[in-house]
Order: sequence, then structure tokens, then C-alpha cells
Amino acid sequence: MNKKLAIFLSVLLVATLVTGCSLRGRKAEGTIVIGSKNFTEQVIVANIVADLIEVHTDLKAELKTNLGGTSVCFEALKRGGTNNGIDAYVEYTGTGLVNLLDMEPTTNPDEAYEIVSKEFKDRWNLVWLKPMGFNNTYTLAVKESFAEENGIKTFSDLAKISDQLVLGGSMEFLERPDGYQGLKKVYGFNFKDTKSMDPGLMYTAIDKGEVQVISAFATDGLLVRYNLKILEDDKRFFPPYHAAVLIRQDTLDKYPELEDVLNKLANKISNEEMQKLNYKVDGEGKDPSEVSKEFLKEKGLI
Amino acid sequence: MISEYLDFIVQRMDDILLFSTQHLQLSFMAISIAIAIGVPLGITMMMFPRVSSLILGIANAVQAMPSLALMGFLVPILGIGTTPSIMMVTVYALLPIIKNTYTGLTGIDKAIIEAGTGMGMTKFQLMTMVRIPLALPVIMAGIRIAAVMAVGYTTLVALIGAGGLGQLIYRGISMVNSKMIMAGAVPAMILALLIDRIFSFLERLVTPKGIK
Repeated sequence: MNKKLAIFLSVLLVATLVTGCSLRGRKAEGTIVIGSKNFTEQVIVANIVADLIEVHTDLKAELKTNLGGTSVCFEALKRGGTNNGIDAYVEYTGTGLVNLLDMEPTTNPDEAYEIVSKEFKDRWNLVWLKPMGFNNTYTLAVKESFAEENGIKTFSDLAKISDQLVLGGSMEFLERPDGYQGLKKVYGFNFKDTKSMDPGLMYTAIDKGEVQVISAFATDGLLVRYNLKILEDDKRFFPPYHAAVLIRQDTLDKYPELEDVLNKLANKISNEEMQKLNYKVDGEGKDPSEVSKEFLKEKGLI
Repeated sequence: MISEYLDFIVQRMDDILLFSTQHLQLSFMAISIAIAIGVPLGITMMMFPRVSSLILGIANAVQAMPSLALMGFLVPILGIGTTPSIMMVTVYALLPIIKNTYTGLTGIDKAIIEAGTGMGMTKFQLMTMVRIPLALPVIMAGIRIAAVMAVGYTTLVALIGAGGLGQLIYRGISMVNSKMIMAGAVPAMILALLIDRIFSFLERLVTPKGIK
């Protein structure tokens, strides 16, 4: 018996050592770790950032995509790539302002960018590079057929019949002060019920008719796939969410060439273009890395 | 439908194999560490009954904590990637191992222990020659439960950048692509069943002849 136990233990020990060593994989000098949140657009832009770095510098880019939300990305960024974290990810000015800085939202995009640039530098030594161009604001979407039948174009139109409807939203949207909590007060929404769910699942829910309204991102490719209509935020409640690379100052100090390389993306992606890229992944089932390379070639960036 | 799914699997074979390997490595590391911590802890609890309720209480409380909450709480402290992921899975794999080790060691027939004492065995001899061999099947059963759980929990750590099959599942959910979800979920199931088989074999292997 003891012999068998000894065999068992030694097998376990050897296997542990082997896997342990293979997992250890030392991070090579000159590797930039790029993170992303867990939705399609983020995975695509993270791939774009990584591809640009690999093509235009001698550095290697390592991707950590699909991290569980803003807080995981941000906490990882504060630690840095050499310390079980990441060096950069793409963040939205509105999210930076309202969620991360806990400040009042503003409707002026330039002002939002200036505030986050200054505050992130002072508080955490993090740098916002130039915005990429698209504004991935929150919005509400309904089925096109539903909008036509009920003559709904704006949030105010929707508010009038909201007591007969169910809203499906991501958990983040339903809780954020710049999300449903604030929206409710401005437009007087009074939905019959609100259901919180994973962003990907909202689309199945509205398609099956379990909810009639969902929170969506303006650049979502799934809006096209499911024939949904974005309603107009006629009271301009949602702050701007312009996307830009958020990167650690010490990473820029170490590799100064990064700033110029990544700023090549400044104003290169419009809302429509981002939605198209998202659709290529969500609608046509292409791989994010493939979509990223296509895009960069099209723009003459690689 | 099924042929479409199979096509997808073939197309993504490289990814699936890579993620499965990562998945297996992560769960395996976690299980090994959990065994290395859990079994000695269980033995300590048996020898010092006063601390046993304390250790068991802590292990129970940790186990009861929702895994997503634990993850959110660990990221600022440990960061993301492989190491924090292994630690998280280890934490969840610990309880069944501790509990079964303790139960196995304390549940032995008093008469057998008395017989051992009567033969002049020291406490150490009693432990290594009587208690542990008799408790082994129970301990192994705990390890087996922990191993299957670990494979399940490992899908979660894709959310903190550790890779593994959860990567396919979460990507599939965000793309509303059920084929991709299945491409992650089915291999994860197979891995869990496989690990269960392996450990059930080991369980039989270490069961002393006398109590088979």
C-alpha cells in the first residue's frame, strides 16, 4: 500500500513541477501587456493597439482580453504589466470621469478629456493618449418594428409608454449614476420591470421579446444583426464616451516610442467604422485579430 | 446544426487545444497546491481538536463567498493572470480536502485505535500506520470532489486574464455565438469527467487491501 501511495505522490509531484515550470514562462524584457474589457469592441481595439506596437516598434505585445469589466482592467493597470497587471487598455472618457474619478458628468467632450487627462496623471500617473475618434456612448435601443408601430424616435417618446415595457440592461448600466439611475430622473422613466443581465445576453432577450428595451452601446455591431433602432437622447443626458488608450506613465518613460506609435490612431476610427468592425466579429463571426489587421491595412497603418 | 458545430470545432481546433491545455494546467496546479495545504491542515485539526472548529469555520466561510466577489476582491491585491487565478481556484478546492481528511481521520473505529495503542504504537506510528491508511479512501474522495470543482472554477478565471476554456465561453457570450460557447463548455465538461475518472482510479489504487 505504502508503495502505491509513494507512486501516487511522486507522480503528483512531478506533474506539479512540470506544469508549474511551463506556466512560469518568464516575461521577456520589452513586452507590453494590453488588456481589454469583456465585450467585442474592446477585444478588437486591444488587438489593434497590440498589432500597431508589434509592427512599428521592436517591442512585443501580450494580450489579456475579456477581463471582467472596468474595475478589473483598472486595478490591473494600476499594478502594471511586470507586476501581474497590464500596461495599457482602451478606456472611455465618460467612464473615466464618472466611474473611476467619481466626478460629475459633463456633456462637453473636450472638457471631459481635459479633466480625465489631468486627474489621472495627478492621482495615478496614468496617461490618456489622443482619442481614437468614436464615441461609444450608452443609448437605449428597441426593435425597429416596435419603434415604427409606436412611433418612437426619442427617449422622451419612450418615456410616455415606459410603464408597459420591460428594460434589459447590463448590471453596470443599471447601477451607474450616468446610466439608468440618472436617466430615470431626467426622463421620468417608469419601466414595468428592469432586468439586469450580461451584455451579450440582452440581445437574445430582446430578440425573444422578453424585454422590449435594452441598454446598448452606440457602436454595437449586434444592433445591426438584430435589427434594432437606437433612440435619440433628446435631452442629452449621456456624457460623451470617447475611446482612447490609457497607459502607464512609467511604460511611456521606458519606451518613449510608444506614444507616437499609438497616437497614429488619433481620430482614425469613426462611430460608423467602429460599428462596422464590431459587426464583422459579432455579425459575420470573424476573429478579432483578423478584423484588426484588415482595418490597419485599410488605413495604411501597417 | 450539429455539423455546423463540428465545422466550428475543426476551424478552432488550435484555440481549443491551447485553451484546454491552459485549463488543465491551471486546475492541476490548483489541485496540487490544495492537496499540499489541505491534507496537513486536516491532520493538524485531528491532532489539535481545539483549532479544528476554527479552521473548518474559516474554510466554510471562504467557500461560501461568491466566486465573482472573491475575484473582485483579489485583483487589487494579487493582480491578474496565472498566479492569482491558481490561488483563487486553490481556495475553493481546499474545503472538501480539509473536511474529508478530518472526517476520515476521526471516523476510524475506536477499537482499531485501541488495538494499536495496546500494541505499544507511538502516536506517530498510530497516525502513519493506522489512521492515514484507513482514512485514505475518504481523503481521496475529497480530493476527487475538489478536482472536479477546480475544473469548473477554472472557467471563471478567464475573467482575470488567465486564459483557459472560459475564454471561449465569455467570448461566445459577448458575441452571441452559441457555437463558441459550446466550443468552450463541452471540452470543459470532458476535462471534468476525465479528471473524475483519473481520481476515481487513484482512489481505488490507494484503498488498503484490508478494507476493499
